[in-house]
Amino acid sequence: MKALDRLLPLIQNETLKIWKKKRFFVILLVLLILIPIFTYAQHRIDETNKKNFKDWRNQLVQQISEYQNTLASDRIPEEWKLSRRIAVQQLQYYLDHDVNPNSPDGVTFTRTFLSNAVTLFFPLLVLALASDLVSGESAAGTIKMLLTRPVRRWKILFSKLVALSLYVSLTVVMTAVLCYLISGAVFGYKGWEMPVFTGFVINGSSIDSGFAHAIPQGLYLLMEAGLIWVSAMTVALLALMVSVLVRSTAASIVTMMAAVISGTILSNMASSWHSAKFIFSVNLQLTDYLAGSPPPITGMTLGFSLVTLACWGIASLIVSFSVFTKQDILN
Amino acid sequence: MRPLSSGNLWRIIGIFAVLSTLLLVAGFGFAVKDLLYPKGGAFTGKSNVPALPAEGKLSEGKDIVITAIGDSLTKGTGDASGEGYVKQLVALLKQKYPDTSVRLNNNLAVNGLKADWLEQLLESDKGYSFALRQANVIVFTIGGNDLFQIASGTSPGKAADGLNLDKLKADLPQALNRLAKVVKRLHAINPHAQVVYVGMYNPFYNIPEYRGGSLQIQQWNERAYALLHQYSNMTMVPTFDLFENAIGRYLSSDHFHPNHDGYAQIAARIVQSLE
Amino acid sequence: MQHARQEAVLSAHQDVVLSVRDIKKQIGGKPIIKDVTFEVRAGEIFGFLGPNGAGKTTTIRMLVDLIKPSSGEIRICGEDIARHPEAALRHVGCIVENPEAYSYLTGWENLEHFARMQRGIDNARIREVAAIVGLDARIHDKVKTYSLGMRQRLGIAQALLGRPKLLILDEPTNGLDPKGIKELREFVRMLADQGMSLFISSHLLSEIQLMCDRVAIISRGEVLAVGTVDELIHGADNYVVWQFEQPEAGRRLLASESDVELVAEHEHRIDESLLGMREAIITAMSPDRIPSLVEKAVRAGIGIVSVHSIAPTLEQLFLRMTEGESIG
Repeated sequence: MKALDRLLPLIQNETLKIWKKKRFFVILLVLLILIPIFTYAQHRIDETNKKNFKDWRNQLVQQISEYQNTLASDRIPEEWKLSRRIAVQQLQYYLDHDVNPNSPDGVTFTRTFLSNAVTLFFPLLVLALASDLVSGESAAGTIKMLLTRPVRRWKILFSKLVALSLYVSLTVVMTAVLCYLISGAVFGYKGWEMPVFTGFVINGSSIDSGFAHAIPQGLYLLMEAGLIWVSAMTVALLALMVSVLVRSTAASIVTMMAAVISGTILSNMASSWHSAKFIFSVNLQLTDYLAGSPPPITGMTLGFSLVTLACWGIASLIVSFSVFTKQDILN
Repeated sequence: MRPLSSGNLWRIIGIFAVLSTLLLVAGFGFAVKDLLYPKGGAFTGKSNVPALPAEGKLSEGKDIVITAIGDSLTKGTGDASGEGYVKQLVALLKQKYPDTSVRLNNNLAVNGLKADWLEQLLESDKGYSFALRQANVIVFTIGGNDLFQIASGTSPGKAADGLNLDKLKADLPQALNRLAKVVKRLHAINPHAQVVYVGMYNPFYNIPEYRGGSLQIQQWNERAYALLHQYSNMTMVPTFDLFENAIGRYLSSDHFHPNHDGYAQIAARIVQSLE
Repeated sequence: MQHARQEAVLSAHQDVVLSVRDIKKQIGGKPIIKDVTFEVRAGEIFGFLGPNGAGKTTTIRMLVDLIKPSSGEIRICGEDIARHPEAALRHVGCIVENPEAYSYLTGWENLEHFARMQRGIDNARIREVAAIVGLDARIHDKVKTYSLGMRQRLGIAQALLGRPKLLILDEPTNGLDPKGIKELREFVRMLADQGMSLFISSHLLSEIQLMCDRVAIISRGEVLAVGTVDELIHGADNYVVWQFEQPEAGRRLLASESDVELVAEHEHRIDESLLGMREAIITAMSPDRIPSLVEKAVRAGIGIVSVHSIAPTLEQLFLRMTEGESIG
């Protein structure tokens, strides 16, 4: 009972501060600018495809054929071929079951946008929220006011953590909502019921579609958002730790961005450096498991990625709380 | 109007945020359950078989829909402009039939494709059947990789180094057998379209040791024509004569595939064969 | 009024609000605070004096749990700050260094923010403290539009929110103009009259001298002296400034006395404005000896122009103490 004293008002404080700092407005603004741009880009792609292809099936079969040409080339490295080979099998599965994987509607756009945003865009938005959570108070000196009140230090940090989590949730949900509303105006607000295949199991270089099954795209979107939330929360926990350790907000953003971007680069290198799979930012693309895309490093599975992310998250929580509750405030 | 009091603001943000969190956690739960404990479910999609185009002469129809399949020749390998004979064919047909819409439906050629693989694609790939059924003109090339790879044991670009004419001769029946199957499948998928097979040429005509290969090529062309002849909608255009004395002019630097002008000649011949 | 308060302080003598015992602090292997011990009693204004870098701010940060002492014990209203920071800090309001506030919030939102961190502070109390510091007119403006003085007042309002028994002000006169300093002094006195203890650190001693009941002098991480201003001053020698008609003879006479110390021109710590006198001889001695020395001079036929006894200010005392420290 005593441990919970003041917790809710503290969370209220932190939530209101993030709001009044206009951080969430910045995020909304970024979304309101970016989503229309991507909607327009997608619209142009659709126009071109419509001009070149009579039917989505023609487009799909052409895409498969192009991948097959890549596979036939001697100049393409074997790792790239692996992912293409799997992509071909997946597209083929869609084609064989007569389901359009890229149907032009608001829900499909949202689904694609979210899965493309998970490794860089969402971490960036999370950093906008988290990076100055503690370092900002240190820099402004308000940390002294905060820590001289009759409240245990862990409660202060915990309330910041809860407020951060709430905004991470709001960010993910608002991104999806804005994406749907804006792209829907162009592509239409349909697509909730459209079947999407999931459950592809990747075995080495081939794909096992024995467990593949169709789920409504609406449910797929929800599952995708849930996975994104988990990877965004991992980034948030790490950013919170960096914010505790580093006094300057700029340094804290740079540190986190470097970590996130290097992970993205590593994933794209389809690296043969196997230990890289233990780096958190290589594991952020959880939505790939849902889509059945090959993981950045062979052998990675959803379970592995979740455990890795959880380890990073828990470790950063331990560091954050032990440093924050013990450190001397000298500046 | 007074701005929201901080208490009300907090209540609104808090409720929305908590609901969002619950939603996302539920989504995560579904995802984990679905992925860690997958249950295969049979999904029987509607099967979509497009209606065959009407039979008849191209000049009388409203539109010309072309589907191209085959190997690197159809892909257009060697043409620096990337057009190959297929796109040039489309352009020529547009000139020939100005009142008709001419559209390339799909060019599904794959570099290095051999007849046996093509046969498999025709048999099982719904996308291929779909794209082929929509067409009233089908153009294809196949066999080059079967012949030259069999003969040299390597990919066709490097074939000149180890071409074995005796082996080429010995393997000819086997390759023709595959071609026969391809033609049969093609007819089964779309009996109405005008099908044009582009005959083979000897890219090594100017190398004295391999000049004799032309005889094998010519044998292939002859037998291929015999196969196509069974179907009234199929025909073959010869190309061997184009390249015999104009190899420097019509072949690309890889000494195997035609260049842009070489493809233009092939396209011109196909146009002549269609009507 | 002043008298009544003094009595109140005496009656509450036993009631110790803040007790600091033997605290030490090392930062990066360097001893910053070597040994600090003092007590602050209920209702008194306690001055914490020392030059910049003496360890004042570090000590204050230890009082409010921003820094953990390496050893020693700090109790606020009997609660050990290391073991029960929640209970101890409940009785404290403080401004450490500059009065900080969230500049993107209004004054009111800042106060609400800190009010939520403690039980039992309602909107009425927020209005009350805003009125006490005279900020009620602009309380709903964003803090970034506030002047330094207004921020200072907001800081004090924040510190007063929880009805603290002990108010800690770190260098409160910094950045204030003379009028502001005078207002602050009156304000502090008003709070003390209401029974609050005040702990005020400063390096500007003349300001503190006027408002403190007791002071501690800290230098190089050590407390040199604790006591009332009177006690400290009384323990020190006075300066006596002599002017003779025959300066050389006068100097010889004074030098011959064992309990009179001649002070060289550049060594004294007397306000220059008091020394407009020509050929003045400055001595450090007890004022009680003046009559006998005057008599001696007259008997020796040395004419006396003037004799001034100058009581040291706290500042002079402080400078003398810390000076000695630096030489020793």
